Amino acid sequence: MDTILILLTGFISVVLVNNLVFTKFLGICPYIGVSGRIDMAFGMGLAVTFVMTLSGTLTWMIDHWLLMPLNLEVVRYVAFIMVIAAAVQLVEMYVKRFFPSLYDSFGIFLPLITTNCAILGLCLFLVVWGTGSLIEAVVLSFGGGIGFTMAICIMAGIRENLRMVDVPEALQGAPITLITAGLLAMAFMGFAGMI
Amino acid sequence: MMVLASVVSTLTAALLAGLIMLSLGAIFATILLIASEKLKVPVDPRVAEAYDALPHLDCGACGYPGCSGYAKAVIENPELLGKCAPGGAEAANKIAALLNLQISSDGPPHRPVVHCRAHTGNKTFYGQYNGIQSCTSANALANVQACKFGCLGFGDCVRACKFDALHIVDGLATVDYAKCTGCGACAKACPRNLIEMAPFGQENMMVVACSSRENGRNTRAFCQVGCIGCGLCVKQSDAFKVEGNLARMDYGKYEPSGQNEAAYNKCPTGVIVYRGKSAPAPREPKAKKPATGTA
Repeated sequence: MDTILILLTGFISVVLVNNLVFTKFLGICPYIGVSGRIDMAFGMGLAVTFVMTLSGTLTWMIDHWLLMPLNLEVVRYVAFIMVIAAAVQLVEMYVKRFFPSLYDSFGIFLPLITTNCAILGLCLFLVVWGTGSLIEAVVLSFGGGIGFTMAICIMAGIRENLRMVDVPEALQGAPITLITAGLLAMAFMGFAGMI
Repeated sequence: MMVLASVVSTLTAALLAGLIMLSLGAIFATILLIASEKLKVPVDPRVAEAYDALPHLDCGACGYPGCSGYAKAVIENPELLGKCAPGGAEAANKIAALLNLQISSDGPPHRPVVHCRAHTGNKTFYGQYNGIQSCTSANALANVQACKFGCLGFGDCVRACKFDALHIVDGLATVDYAKCTGCGACAKACPRNLIEMAPFGQENMMVVACSSRENGRNTRAFCQVGCIGCGLCVKQSDAFKVEGNLARMDYGKYEPSGQNEAAYNKCPTGVIVYRGKSAPAPREPKAKKPATGTA
């Protein structure tokens, strides 16, 4: 029962309170770049969630079972990036094979998940947070992905409606998007201290 | 000794790190290799070959966004063969060869013919049109010019042309046959259906450059260079026929001959003209008989 409670708390924490996009400002590139339409944003969120869960779990295993016993924490970054790159390659092949239209609409943003700092950030946060067990690592990395998906979908919804709004000329395009992102981040600050 | 020892210990530690990274890399490489084999997307090599056979103009005459879209579609569905107007028979034959199909030739290339030869000076206007400067808008107005069939000269066809092969010359759409690829975009754009895609068996074709179905007297009343349906050309050559006060050339029968030349010279209004890459300037209409009362 205690484990489940801890897992649940961790999940809510990483989705709402410590959301990677809103409180750590990680993964801003796809957050701004692919949030034009909700369906695309959702697809991007799912791809990031998949890569994040996979790489978060794998890096935790490599870190705890291979690098830490051998005192090789120095190669952590290199090893993590390699895991992420391999996972992204895998996702890209899968999407290209089974969802060609989604693949076309992602364009360059799919391979760019490799350099999505939210993923490497989460893998490193798992170390910083002192994640003790494999199941915790799985839940936290999955939660990180869900948090990202939620953030990008909220943003896409707002931007879809923004198209019908009379935005001042100087703020059209990227500026109003960044202002919206800032307001959203401020709104999510309200969750701070909940857990 | 101390230095040597520290170098050795560093090397030993680095060796382990290197080995770990190497083995991790090898594992991931194997996984990706297997995945790339399992998840391979089969790409039809014929699509690329079909794309190479097309003229890469992306004109959209086939109904697809560009040449690559058409190449993909035509390989999947051979019924779409021959939709590429600029590529013509050559491109169609190449693609047919890729598909192991034989196609009968679709004859000479089609080129647009504007069935009007009235410049601004030849036209009659009841008033001045100051509305939206497009043929489609002007055509909605019944009395925009006296001739209900003639070229309006606002250039909808010019805007439709992607090859700079059409220009409005003194109120009349004029085709530059050296630049034209025969995509047919202008024929679709004309709200009066003045532009016909005619098969050009010769470099220069003889055509009747008028669309007026008014009777001869009415046509004469508002245009000196319109077809009055007199039928003089039919008497000279079999290639012509007159239907509904309007002469037309049967392009399949046309060849440069004495009879056709005679018809060209006999035409009282000079509405029979040459169109093509090196077409001579149209003949002036014969001196008009004094009008016996205008409409």
